[in-house]
This record gives sequence, structure tokens and C-alpha cells, in this order.
Amino acid sequence: MAQRSDGDQLNLGFLQVTLTPSGYVGGLLVTNRQGRPLEFQCTTPVQPNRTQEILYGPTLKPFIYSELLGKTLFERLAVKPGVVIVQETSLLDLRPHVPCPVACILQPDDTVALADELRRQLGRQTVVVHAEHSDDLDALNRVSQLIPNDADLVEPLERVGEALSETVRAGAVA
Amino acid sequence: MMWNDEERTGSEPSLHPTPTHFDIDRPETASESLELPRSTIHVTGMNGALKRWPVFNALKNPLIERAGYVPKWSPVWPKVRTVGLTFPAGMEFLPTRVEPEESGLEAITTPAKKQSSDKPAKKSTRVKPPADALSLEDRLFYVLQPPLESWLAGQELIMPFEPFPYQYEGIAWLFSQKSALLADEMGLGKTMQTITALRLLLRAGQVRRVLMVCPKPLIPNWQREFKQWAEEIPVTTVEGDGPRRKMIWQMPGAQVLLCNYEVVVRDFQTMLEHCDNPQVTSRDGLGRIVKRTGDRNGSESNGGVASLDSPLPKFDLVVLDEAQRIKNRDSVTSKTARAIPRKRSLCLTGTPIENRAEEMYSLFEFMGVIPPHATPDVRQLSKLSEVHILRRTKDLVMKDMPPRLDRDEIIELSPAQQHAYRTAEKDGVIQLNEMGDSITVQHVFELVMRLKQIANYDPLTGESAKLDRLVADMEEISASGGKAILFSQWTRTIDWLAERTTQFGRLVYHGGVPTKKREPILDQFKHDPNAHLLLMSYGTGAVGLNLQFAGYVFLYDRWWNPAVEDQAINRAHRIGCKSQVIVSKFICKDTIEERIDLVLRQKRELFRRVLGEGDNENESLSLSAGEIFGLFDLKKRTSKGGTTSIGPSQPGQDAA
Repeated sequence: MAQRSDGDQLNLGFLQVTLTPSGYVGGLLVTNRQGRPLEFQCTTPVQPNRTQEILYGPTLKPFIYSELLGKTLFERLAVKPGVVIVQETSLLDLRPHVPCPVACILQPDDTVALADELRRQLGRQTVVVHAEHSDDLDALNRVSQLIPNDADLVEPLERVGEALSETVRAGAVA
Repeated sequence: MMWNDEERTGSEPSLHPTPTHFDIDRPETASESLELPRSTIHVTGMNGALKRWPVFNALKNPLIERAGYVPKWSPVWPKVRTVGLTFPAGMEFLPTRVEPEESGLEAITTPAKKQSSDKPAKKSTRVKPPADALSLEDRLFYVLQPPLESWLAGQELIMPFEPFPYQYEGIAWLFSQKSALLADEMGLGKTMQTITALRLLLRAGQVRRVLMVCPKPLIPNWQREFKQWAEEIPVTTVEGDGPRRKMIWQMPGAQVLLCNYEVVVRDFQTMLEHCDNPQVTSRDGLGRIVKRTGDRNGSESNGGVASLDSPLPKFDLVVLDEAQRIKNRDSVTSKTARAIPRKRSLCLTGTPIENRAEEMYSLFEFMGVIPPHATPDVRQLSKLSEVHILRRTKDLVMKDMPPRLDRDEIIELSPAQQHAYRTAEKDGVIQLNEMGDSITVQHVFELVMRLKQIANYDPLTGESAKLDRLVADMEEISASGGKAILFSQWTRTIDWLAERTTQFGRLVYHGGVPTKKREPILDQFKHDPNAHLLLMSYGTGAVGLNLQFAGYVFLYDRWWNPAVEDQAINRAHRIGCKSQVIVSKFICKDTIEERIDLVLRQKRELFRRVLGEGDNENESLSLSAGEIFGLFDLKKRTSKGGTTSIGPSQPGQDAA
């Protein structure tokens, strides 16, 4: 790969997990800062059994999303991103398992109640970081200078969702 | 022995009965009671023992030292497998020159930036996986590409102006297709869509070496368009003497080679002669060598092995502009085009079918979507077209484009012209009639040409009613600062007109003008405020040129084929034209031109009925032999003294 995650060569990771009839499937797309794809990884479906559902309780979803799928995907990447963008707060729990900031895109309604010092503007979206990694906000300040102000960070996540549908439809991960 | 009933009666039941006492003073007697002993069995049948108290014994039972079964569970999840896709590294280019603001270039911004939140977002154009992409990796490659709008925005990819939505769709389609025919109507920007798609393919690492083949007159046009739309892409024109061209063909770093059909045919034929043994090898439609394995067909499906392992220069993409040039699949040009080794094939033409549906065979064979020598029927062609052809018409996509106003200028010949015309017609028809059955279409054609030339101007006196009308119109146009293009069939007519229209700063552009001088002429016409008239020949000026700043088009004489006329008109009436384009067709009254115009109108109407309103392009059939004969009432004398019509069947019977 020509692109590396150093200096101005900032790469962005876009992580999404969706629930399919076969189970939870995760996809992680790495793009350069203009949104051009560099690498994509997706997982096989993971289906928790009844015992796991009972014993994990409310921690099941964050566990599957972050520790099981997110972490696995990140470790498989050949091109490491400078920041991982997610759209679900469950995926913020990936942060303790990866060495780069994880930023969750806030819905417009959610930003109102949030203090300014807890959020950052990244492209056209407002993002938050993991509560125990507030240092990531400083890192995001640097990242935001390398991302165009009009960059739409939701769009690549839609691509990931479409790619996951394509893989499930192709039966490649079933 | 008798039971002591007293003791037993009224007392508590005893577990151990009392023994009987004996009297020793009395002799032992024995008596037997005849009474039946009273039953101690309860009437219900219940045994009296049940009334006894149970005996309880306490036994010592030691406790177990540990629990026997404890269910255990540890959080072990199955190993999550992953499927990965790495994208090829794109081609790195030198940064594009940054234009000063006053140059008029404006960076294309993403749609949402311009939109306020309450307005609907502008449509984004996504690349769709092609129908023939079967592997998941191939499909994901296209699915994960960003929308074209954001791809082109903010990446130092300067575009002269933002493409129209239908152009974005065309670019996305071209990006994903390995075998494509872009058949947009003339003037909709096939060149720009092709160059932009090529730019993205190079950047995405999908192609690294491209051959662009076009007619010779269009080489400067492509050079200019590349400079305008993708100045960072180095374009090398294959030209010069043999050794120089050979060096260019083998130059490894050249990304885009631009070449005309004639040079491609000449050079590849030479290379093929040196490297192929026709007895042993043949090539399929994509230039791959098919080694024969016993059968004469040699196709891949018949046991041949197709391979790109060829000493010929190889390309990732070959583009054929004006691809109707290879419509005859047996022509040397077609065979040569098919012999070029390549991975992707792209054809560009505004007229994919000029005469017959069979013309598509050759294009499809070049694109590699049908086997060599295959002859699919109309239904199969239609199916292939759905997948591999993209065609849009102005009517469909450019509803807001300024209109084109056609007006027929019916002109009466001047007296001298009239005399010359009638004489030539009379003599010509008599001469043709005398030829009887030996007459050919060529004889008729010669007469038609002679009459058309007289309608343009009388060679003897130099009188020309058309010139008078042209001068009158041009005075008005030049006074208002307008620009006009005039098309004629003959360079001689153009040169004749050039001598008589100097007052309008006329410029001449036809086949007689050296290629190197043509670009400056177009440039002068565009920028010189005193140059109001450009005199062009149909053959040289009808295709590929962008002259949308001209608001007037004159068709000084009529071409045989409406499609060529339309191509000529579309030099001015195309994307970018700011105002309406007025097209004046000069038709001399009571001459052959009226009859030709009538036939062309009838053909237009016929094709409109057959092909529908949406497609106004395929009405491009030339006059057939029957139609040319029909321009005159030709008869021959019979042996009985009467006359009978001569010539081939009329348009109704003659499939054009």
C-alpha cells in the first residue's frame, strides 16, 4: 500500500457492526483522508447462545461489538488507521483494546446536551470519545486539521454497511 | 388351646399375646368350640396390623464430603474469522497546477456543503458493481468506492466545470465496466466522461497503460481535452517515422498513448507479421493468443487456450473513439483493433448503428462479449446492449439545454443558375435514359452531384442565390457580434465561398488544411472578435469539435445522411452553449435538393415511428440506391415503343 498512517498520511477507520439473520457481522474500512478505500476487513457472523445471553446480560452487546468483532478486525488490518470512527456508542468500548482514538458520531439531537469540552467537530460531524480516554480529544484536534471541513464521515459507514450486505448476500461469511 | 378372648377384648392390641394357664386338679379336657372365631379382619378388608404403631429406628448416616456435580462455564467464544480486501495502490501524479482565482476555475464542492440542512441533499453517484463481476472481491471493490461527487471534490482534481448528474452516472458506469460502449448522443460529453473515468481508473490503480484510438483529425481535439480535463495525465501521441513510433509503442512509462486508426493498423499489422504464425495461432476478440489444439475454429470454448502472452504491446484499456470505424468485422481496421492485447475495451460512438443491427457484431466482438464470428439475433443483441451499452439522448437528459431551431431556407435559383441547372438536368436525364439497363447508381450519383454543385453556384457566371442569402444573414450576425459555422460537402465550394466572404473574417477548415494549422484556426475563431464565419467541410469538421460558442449553423448543401448533418450541427449545439442555436438549411426550390430533403424527411419520420421519440439518432441511414434512382424519373424505351422504369427497387421495398 502506498498510504501509511503517519504524518500527513492520515488514514481513517470506519467500523460498523450489524445484526444479520446469521448473527452479528462487523466490517472495518480504512480510507485515506479523502475517503478513498485502502483496506476492508469483515468478520464471519457471531451468534451468541442462550447461556451467553443470560450470563453476559447487558454487557453482551458491547462485548460482541468491541472486544470480539472490533478488536479482531483492527488486529487483522495491514493499514492501521489514525482514528476509528463509529456510529454506535456500544463501539466506544473498543477504545481500551486498540492503540488509537475511537470517535463516535453524535446524532444532531444528542449534541445539544453535551458540554463543549466533551465533543469535537470532525468534518461535518460532531464526535465524542471514550469517557476514560479524554486525552483522545487532543488527538482529535490534530486529526481534525487534516480532514476537510466538509468531509462527510457518515458516508463511508454507509459503504461499510453496503459491503456487509454484499458479503452476507454472497454467503462468503455465512 | 383357646384364645383368651377377655384379655384380647377391650384391651389394646398387643404385639406379644399372653400365654394360656392350665388347671392341674382337673383332668385335662379338651373342648372344641363350634363357634367360628370372630374375625379380626376389618369389614373393609383392612388388615388390623395397619393399626399398629410403626417402629422407628434411628440409623447413623454420614454426610458426603463434597457436592457430586457442579455445572461450570467459562466464556470461550469461537474464533472469529475475517475476510479481507486490500485495494491496489493508485497511481501517483504530480500535483495539479493551482490556477489563480481569476482564471475562472472553481473547485467542485461536495453537494452537502452547499445545501442547508432543510434542503434535500444532492444525489450522490455511487459506483455499482458490474453484472459480470462475480467474485466478492470484485464486487466489494466497486461497492466501497466513494461517491463520485466526493471523489472529485477536495482532491486537487480540478474540473473546468461540474459535470451534470447524467455525466456522473456515465463516469461511474465507465469506471466499473470492463467491456463498454458509450453511445451518448453527440454533444453530451462522451469525451469528458471518458477522460474523467480514465483519470479515476488510473488513480485507483485499475489501469496503468491506456491506448486511445481516434480518427486522425480528432487527435488535436483529444490532446486539448486531456489538457483541459486531466492535465496531470501525461498523454503521448504515437506519431513520427517508423523507428520513433516503434520506440513509443515500447516505451514502458507511457500511461496514455494517443493514436489514429491508420497508424494503429499500419504498426500492428507490421508487428503481427513479425510475431504471429497464422498456421499455429489466432487471436480472440481481446487480442489474446488462442493456440489451436487440433480444430480449425481455435476458439477458447473449443479447446483453444487464450493467453495475453503476446509480443505485441499490451494495454489495460483500449478506447476506440468513433468506433463505428470498425463496424465491418472483416475490415483490416476491425481485425487489427481486435488483435490488440488488452484487459478492458471501451467504444465511443454517437451512432452505434448506422445501417444494420449486424454492425453491432463487430463492436461486441471487439469488446469480447461475443465469441469470434458469432451472429447473435436481435433478441440477444438487445440483451447484450442492456448490459454493455449506455446511451442517453439530449431529449432525455438535457431538458434545460437551449433549444435548436431548425429553419429551411427555400431559395430560388438565380436566372443564370436556373438555366445551367435545367440544361444539365435535361442532358443528364436523357443521357441516363439512353444507357438503359446498363445504368448504375454511380451514373445517377454523378448527375446528382453536378446538379447540387450548380445549386451552390453557377460555375460559368459565378451567380449564387445561396451566397446572396448567406451574405444577407451574415451581415446581421456579424453586426450583433455573433459567430456562425457553415458546412459544405465540397472543399471547392468552401474555397469559392472564402473568396467572397472576407468581410466577415471568415476562416477555412477542411481536409486541405494541414493538420498542424487546424488548431490555431479553431482558436482564432473562438477568440478573434472579428472572425464571424468558419467555413467547414462535413468530412473534416463534422465530428469531435467543440464549437458551442457559435450560435448559427448554415448547411450550405445537404449531406446524404441526416446523422452526419446532425453531427455537424452538434458542433455548436452541445453542452456549454449559452443560447439557442439557429440552424439554416439552404434548399433551392424546384431542384434536386428539394427531392433529397423530402426523402430525408420521410426517412426521419419512418425511423421515428420505428424507434420511438426518445431516440432521434438512429435515423441515420443514408440514401439507398433505390432512393437515389428515385430522385429522377428514369425510363427506358421498350421494343414496343413504350417506356418502362429503370433502377433498383424503391425505398419501400429496399431495405436501406
